[in-house]
Amino acid sequence: MAIFSVFVVNKAGGLIYQYDNYVTRAEVEKTFSFPLDLVLKIHDEKVIVSFGQRDGIRVGHGVLSINGVDVNGKYTAEGKEIVEYLKDPANYPVSIKFGRPRLSSNEKLMLASMFHSLFAIGSQLSPEVGSSGIEMLETDVFKLHCFQTLTGIKFIVLADPRQTGIDALLRKIYEIYSDFALKNPFYSLEMPIRCELFDQNLKSALEIAEKAGTFGPGS
Amino acid sequence: MSRQSNRTTDSKKMNSELFTLTYGALVTQLCKDYENDEEVNKQLDKMGYNIGVRLIEDFLARSSVGRCQDFRETADVIAKVAFKMYLGVTPSVTNWSPAGDEFSLILESNPLVDFVELPDNHSNLVYSSLLCGVLKGALEMVQMAVDVRFAQDTLRGDSVTEIRMKFIKRIEENVPAGDE
Amino acid sequence: MTVHNLYIFDRNGTCLHYSEWNRKKQAGISKEEEYKLMYGMLFSIRSFVNCRKDGFMSFHTSRYKLHYYETPTGIKLVMNTDLGVQNCRDTLQQIYSTLYVEYIVKNPLCVLGESLQSDLFNSKLDSFIRALPFFNIRAA
Repeated sequence: MAIFSVFVVNKAGGLIYQYDNYVTRAEVEKTFSFPLDLVLKIHDEKVIVSFGQRDGIRVGHGVLSINGVDVNGKYTAEGKEIVEYLKDPANYPVSIKFGRPRLSSNEKLMLASMFHSLFAIGSQLSPEVGSSGIEMLETDVFKLHCFQTLTGIKFIVLADPRQTGIDALLRKIYEIYSDFALKNPFYSLEMPIRCELFDQNLKSALEIAEKAGTFGPGS
Repeated sequence: MSRQSNRTTDSKKMNSELFTLTYGALVTQLCKDYENDEEVNKQLDKMGYNIGVRLIEDFLARSSVGRCQDFRETADVIAKVAFKMYLGVTPSVTNWSPAGDEFSLILESNPLVDFVELPDNHSNLVYSSLLCGVLKGALEMVQMAVDVRFAQDTLRGDSVTEIRMKFIKRIEENVPAGDE
Repeated sequence: MTVHNLYIFDRNGTCLHYSEWNRKKQAGISKEEEYKLMYGMLFSIRSFVNCRKDGFMSFHTSRYKLHYYETPTGIKLVMNTDLGVQNCRDTLQQIYSTLYVEYIVKNPLCVLGESLQSDLFNSKLDSFIRALPFFNIRAA
C-alpha cells in the first residue's frame, strides 16, 4: 500500500503545493556495445526509450546518466546531443543508466494545470445533470483521487490502486490546509504554500493513512 | 466468459486448396493485366496492405495479445501466433541484426505456393508478395513502420522461403488536426 | 444502473460511432464539437497518465463513470454509465471483438476511418447494450 504524491491546485489551476511521498526508483545501468538495440526519442527535452525493452529497461524510461555522469536533459554532461553521441561507434562500449524520468517542477506545474482543465471538461461532457469534475481516475498502476472544495481548491492524491481511505485522507488534508496554511497570517491566499507546520502535519497524515489504510470517521 | 464461442466464423472452415487456387487465379490475372512483374508485385503488395490493416483488428480481437514493447516480442507474436492462426504454419525467427531491428522469418512451407511452378518469363515475379503487404499493413496499424521483403523463395530454387523484416520507426499518434 | 452513451474513435480522432440511451444532459455544443472535446480530453488524459500497457481505464465524477478501452491499433471505445457499474473493460472489449471487428472490419464495403454507416452494426450494438445486465431504464 502506498500513497505516491499529493498536489494542491488553486482555483485558477496553479500548483501551490506538491509533495512526493513514496518514490519507487527503478534504475537500471547496463553496458552496451554498438549498435544500440533500443529505439530512443526526444520527448519534452529528455531522451526516453520509445521501443524495445529488456533487462528491466522499459519503454518510457529516460536516459539518466552515461558512463556514470548524469545527463543534462537531452545533452550529455559535455553538452553533446545524446542521440548523436550514441550514434557514434567510437563512443562504445558505453554504460547507460535508465530509469523513470524525474519530473521537473515546470512539468509538475504543467500537469497540474492540465488536470485542472480535464476536470472542467469532465464535468461539461457529463450525460447527467449537475455533475462534478473528475473525482477519481483509474489506471493500471495508480489511482488519482481529487477533492474539490466549495471554494475551488483541489486536493489531489496519487496512490496505489489498492490503497483505501483516500477520501478521508483528502478531507484530512483540507483540514490541515485550513489549519496550517490559511490560519497562518503570513500565508497569502492562492500562493504557493511554504509552511513548515503544514509539511509536518501532512507527512504524518500520510503515514497514518498508509499504515491504517483508513481514518476513523471524524478523526 | 469465452468470447470465442459466439463467433460465427469459427465453424466455417474453408477448403485451403480453394484458397490457394483463388490466390493463384488472382496472381495470374494480374500478370495478364499488367505484363510487368514489378507492377504485379506492387499490386499484390498493395492488396496485402489493405488486408493487413483489417486483419490486425481480427487478430487482436481473437488473440489476447497486447501491445508489443519490443521488436523481439513482435517477431515472436508474428511467427508463433499470427502465422499459425492464419496460415497454419509456424516460421522460425532468425538472423537478428546486431541492433535488433531486423530479422528473418524462415518458412519451411508456404501454403500459397502449393501447386505453383514459376515460368521462366516471370523471373521477377514475387509470387507471395501479398504476405509482405499484409505484414506491413498490420504493423503500421500498431504504430510500427517496417520494411518487408522476400530474401529467399522456394519458387526460385532456394531451399527455404525467407521473409526479411526491418523495423524503420515508431509511428507517433496524431493529435487531432488543429481546429479553430 | 444504466448506460448513458457510447463513443468509438479511431486513431486519428475521427468519431466512428456515437449512440446514446439514457442521456439526461447534452453538452450544449454541436455533436461535432462534442466529439472533438471528448477526444481531446482522452488524448490529454493519456499523455497525462503517460504509462504503458493498459494505462488509463476509467474515471468517475459525482454523477457518472467513464469507461475507456483502447486497442493496440488505436481504436478507442468510451462508455459512460452511472456510478453503480463496476469494471466495464470486458464489455468494451467484447463490443470491439464481436461487433466492430465482425461487422465493420470484415465488411469490405465499410470504409475504415470514416463514420460508420452500417445499420447491421447499429442494431447489433443496440441490442447488445440493451441486453447488458446493468442496462436498466430508470424512468425513461
